Amino acid sequence: MNNLALMIALPLIAAFLLPVINRVSSLAARWTGPLVVLVTSVIGIMAWTQLGANAVAIELGGFRPPLGITLYADQLAVLFAIAVSVGTLLLWPDDGEDRIRQSTLTLILAASGSGLALSGDLFNIYVLYELVAVVSYGLVASKGTPGSLAATMRYLIVSAFGAALALTGIALVYQATGTLNLAQLSQLAPTHLNNMQGLAAFVLMLVGFGVKAELFPVNTWVPEVYATAPARVSGLLAGVVSKLALLIIVRLLVLVFHQPEALQIMLVLGILGVVTGELAAWRARDFNRMLAFSSIGQLGIMFIAFSIPGQAGIFAGLAVALHHLLVKPAMFLLAERWGGSLAKLAGVAHSSPLGAALFILLALSLIGVPPLPGFWAKLLVMINLMAQESSLYTLGAWIIMGGAALEANYLFRVAGSFYHRADGQTPPAAHRPRDLATAALLGATLAVGMFVIMPLAEQLEGVADQAADRDHYVQTVNPEALP
Amino acid sequence: MQRFTSALFLLGLGLLITAIFQHMDFTGTLPIAGDAINAAAAQQTGAANFVTAVVLGYRGFDTLLELTILFTAATAGGLVLGKPRAGAKHDPQAGFILRAGADLFFPLLLVVGLYIIVHGHLTPGGGFQGGVILAVAFFLPLLARPGTPMSHKAVSLIEGLAGASFILIGLLAMFGGEAFLTPMLDKGQPGELLSAGSLPLLYIAVGLKVGSELAGLLAHMAATEASDA
Amino acid sequence: MMDTGLILHTGAFGLIVIGIAGIVLSSHLIRIIFGIALLEAGANLLLLLATWHEGTSAPIIVDGHIPAVMADPVPQALVLTAIVIGVGILALALSLALRIQQAWGTLDIREIRQRMEEEIADTAGVDLPSSPHAPKPFPPVAAKQEGRS
Repeated sequence: MNNLALMIALPLIAAFLLPVINRVSSLAARWTGPLVVLVTSVIGIMAWTQLGANAVAIELGGFRPPLGITLYADQLAVLFAIAVSVGTLLLWPDDGEDRIRQSTLTLILAASGSGLALSGDLFNIYVLYELVAVVSYGLVASKGTPGSLAATMRYLIVSAFGAALALTGIALVYQATGTLNLAQLSQLAPTHLNNMQGLAAFVLMLVGFGVKAELFPVNTWVPEVYATAPARVSGLLAGVVSKLALLIIVRLLVLVFHQPEALQIMLVLGILGVVTGELAAWRARDFNRMLAFSSIGQLGIMFIAFSIPGQAGIFAGLAVALHHLLVKPAMFLLAERWGGSLAKLAGVAHSSPLGAALFILLALSLIGVPPLPGFWAKLLVMINLMAQESSLYTLGAWIIMGGAALEANYLFRVAGSFYHRADGQTPPAAHRPRDLATAALLGATLAVGMFVIMPLAEQLEGVADQAADRDHYVQTVNPEALP
Repeated sequence: MQRFTSALFLLGLGLLITAIFQHMDFTGTLPIAGDAINAAAAQQTGAANFVTAVVLGYRGFDTLLELTILFTAATAGGLVLGKPRAGAKHDPQAGFILRAGADLFFPLLLVVGLYIIVHGHLTPGGGFQGGVILAVAFFLPLLARPGTPMSHKAVSLIEGLAGASFILIGLLAMFGGEAFLTPMLDKGQPGELLSAGSLPLLYIAVGLKVGSELAGLLAHMAATEASDA
Repeated sequence: MMDTGLILHTGAFGLIVIGIAGIVLSSHLIRIIFGIALLEAGANLLLLLATWHEGTSAPIIVDGHIPAVMADPVPQALVLTAIVIGVGILALALSLALRIQQAWGTLDIREIRQRMEEEIADTAGVDLPSSPHAPKPFPPVAAKQEGRS
């Protein structure tokens, strides 16, 4: 279990040494990155098989909490750590001029993403979050066109602003409690943070960490960045990184902030996210922006789902999050060659039937057409929303329904145009085999998920149960502390 | 319109801060973690400077990540700035005072930087502060004589190996059956130069890494700017 | 002492507000970057003040003598980390600003945004969202005027 620290250490050491290895042999440098990420994926999957109902705490440096930094590995954390490793492996950058620098950055993304999933210390989470942010600036700017640099700059401003707010929130929490360990914070929260200061700290951290999770008021960067970054990077950001930021917010909600207002704020922002995202996606006229806005809408659904109190909310939110994790990267892989005006995609099914079929499968699942997994995820959210008494939750349910109708409208419009006759237009260039194969793999996973939906749901419910169990967290990290 | 939303935003922020202010107690709370560390740091790490004990021992993982952020920023900066154009113009040579000063200060800054790094576990200072001084030592000649090529090969070698050795020291503890990044070696007597186990080694790695990273980044920026002049 | 604490906290929140005002109100890129730096400084100061007490001594053993009341070393270490992170991001932001200035000869954020939107729309082959032609109904009717490559 101690091996889990290797999921962070190995990619880091490889990233530091990659420029040195490249001086010796560029072939070795080319294969080091994917190999390391493959190894960390295997480590993660092995940890997953060993991990049962009991989570594991890893004390870095061998210091007892609250002195040192603790990693907390429950099924949820390991699941996302695996998702980061596998995601970076599938979306590994293999072209472009500055391949070594891009590989270095992707390795660091793998390390910091796994760390973000596993970390159990508030300030450590901030540092990891900043690391993910800096890596993503580099990856987003890697095309090097002036437009992509400007988009990166605007993204950096929003993101640095958010991170500073999150740091302010952390300072408020530390001021109130005197500790940064999440388990200890969880014990102190009912007496120390159940007040205005605690709520202010939560709002600051929600907005701060919400930047990466495409939360409503701080998501202005999304359409610009996804339109200018390499599609593979967009897939990583929308698919994996946004979920990690969401995971932090959920952890904070479960462990530290129990105010009902906290959930309500998240619910309202989520609803606004769905409305603005889906409307903008409906109006979008190029492929990348449509995907970007639809990603904002989907993240909004996740925020709504996670704002349902208790285990049910985590279960439902997790289902939507994992579904989106599979679908969006695949869609962005298709966008690698299909980026640009939607009008140019008319008749594309004749030149690329597999790509068109994949897109339709993904779109159907994204809208939530039974029996695809996306349907079950959305159904779960709706059932739990309707079970809540507050009318705000019912409004959320209706908004999600409306969003799905909009999604159906614009995605079918695009899918329909694939089968129009191409009126003398030159079809877009064919997909690279690797992109198409990866997208097909993700699509196939989705299709397989359709047939094993019940066992999957049971497994996922177990993950949610464990993640929602505060006492288990505290007991695992700090066994002597509980009375 | 944008001005209006901005003003509205600032108003909301003002309200939030007022709310925080009203409920905040300015005398400071009891630091649970801090007091425990102050009580235990001398025995557990052997460092006389407890801030160093926190930076390298208790929260060594944060420090490793922070080094990685610098490394990432330098890498991303390299990606953004690209290679200087061929035949780029350079700034004119600096005047006599700057050139003479740079020559004079170079050895002095080198010694001071190294001293601060090596004494990081005893006195205020350490790898970050010393590393910045080292970076300045190598950047100053570049200001005095623009166009002098900085050895990027050496810089990237140092930054790679220094970063890797920090992790390797952590991994060695792990293969010895301890947790990742556990301090090792003899703790010694707090206050002596050779004490605190592996912490000074870590600080040397930090210092070299920070120095090479900043020097590389500054040189890169200077080269880019010159090519535009 | 209550008063000193109040003054220091006012300073920290003041820096935060000035930083945010700089980010949202100014249109010059370098000023926005400075706003970020100020905001970070305010947050760091607040973190440092979190467990601050008057009259504590630095947590360092001098000549074998351990001070009786020591300051909390944790925020000091945290702020050291946060400052270095800030430096990294500042350097990257300035590098980006440098290249943007080289490419477009401007550092005005509104103009940069305009140029960026133009470039995105141009590479995508659609009209600018703000232009009088947009938004048009999507195919089949509008397909014929598009395709400006």
